[in-house]
Amino acid sequence: MMMIQANNVDFYYGEFHALKGINMDIEPNTVTAFIGPSGCGKSTFLRLFNRMNDLIPGTKLQGECIVNGTNIYRKGINVDDLRKEVGMVFQKPNPFPKTIFENVAYGLRVNGINDSKVIKERVEQSLMGAALWEEVKDKLKKSAFELSGGQQQRLCIARALAIQPSVLLMDEPASALDPISTSKVEELIHELKNDYTIVIVTHNMQQAARVSDKTGFFMLGELVEYSDTKKMFFNPEKEQTQNYITGRFG
Amino acid sequence: MKHTEKELQSLKEEVREMWQLVLSQLEKCKQSYLTDDLEIAREVASREKRVNTFELKIESDCENYIALYTPVAVDLRLVLSMIKICSTLERIGDFAEGIARHVIADDCTPLLQLIKDDLQVETMFDTVIAMLSDSYAALESENTKLSGRILQKDEEVDTLYREAIRKLAEYVEKNPSHAPCVLETLLVLRKVERIGDHCSNIVEEIVFYIDAKILKHRKSKE
Repeated sequence: MMMIQANNVDFYYGEFHALKGINMDIEPNTVTAFIGPSGCGKSTFLRLFNRMNDLIPGTKLQGECIVNGTNIYRKGINVDDLRKEVGMVFQKPNPFPKTIFENVAYGLRVNGINDSKVIKERVEQSLMGAALWEEVKDKLKKSAFELSGGQQQRLCIARALAIQPSVLLMDEPASALDPISTSKVEELIHELKNDYTIVIVTHNMQQAARVSDKTGFFMLGELVEYSDTKKMFFNPEKEQTQNYITGRFG
Repeated sequence: MKHTEKELQSLKEEVREMWQLVLSQLEKCKQSYLTDDLEIAREVASREKRVNTFELKIESDCENYIALYTPVAVDLRLVLSMIKICSTLERIGDFAEGIARHVIADDCTPLLQLIKDDLQVETMFDTVIAMLSDSYAALESENTKLSGRILQKDEEVDTLYREAIRKLAEYVEKNPSHAPCVLETLLVLRKVERIGDHCSNIVEEIVFYIDAKILKHRKSKE
């Protein structure tokens, strides 16, 4: 079964038609990258899958967004439950003004987990999963703001992992990081693929090529091409894709 | 035109110049061989260094392009094919020089006059020169429709080569004292035949660049 499906998705910001008839299937335990010029709709499409766009007034969705077999926009869906299933990591690291430990434990506490032993175990697991444990195990009580940008981003990934989602959405997760931190996050994405389905928006095409199994190229709200990353970067089907990835676009 | 496109254009221009040089080397080595012209043969031998210089320059430019611009899709295929094509052109240049050195070193004039026409050496030369020239036209026009016809010509060269071996064998049986010259002739023909194979490799690289299709080793698979 597909982990994520989009069926004939149209999305509007007021009158603006931001996504046009998008169809996409994403298999479990894969990394899918969305690329395209600014304003093409790739982040809008990503945010549909944990209903982040619901927070924006005047938006309208047509079509179906299915995660793990459930239409996440049907009536009766609990958005909090959905966001436990679908975690999100943003462009800029956004740790809470709390300790490193509490940043990861926070999601567990708000979801009703109070057993300190369970919390401790899950925090350690999550920090290990985010390849941060070795760097922070001796300073868990220190403020998250004392970490470097790259460490803060991995802390945010650990925070997302703590609630054990099936899907991780990443909106330009390395664009604010230096090359070494970027490399660590990319390596982490490779590792996390074994346990999660990952969808990443990136402006860095080489990053898309390095980390993803499949790539979708968006332009002007349309999904121009969606195929295996190797094919996309070696022999794309569409001329528009070729022009974009080779830098001839515009 | 964007900066990266200009770089690719200049790379293509270098390959074009190398191609013209190698074509000219082939034509001159044919001329020197068929007319036993030592002067032209020496010219071919001395110009071989220029072919080698082109190879080093183009390889270096391709490496730099990959390192600096990380090309993808058609640009990546172009750079990869240029690396292989310039290396293959250099091999063809080596063969042309080798044939010229046979002309300089060997005195097989009596034998050559006797059997040259019968072996269709000129036809073999003309066919491989046409292959190299047509494959350049395919690259310039980015049109691979002619590729099948160019590859067909390699089979014609192979057929001529096999026929020439048979005739040379007959000849040496009747004229054992000419065996050294027959062997020298065989080596030259072998070089021409190998040039045909290399021209086929070039066509395969052009198809890889333009159509992203791999023709290599297809025959052996079939």
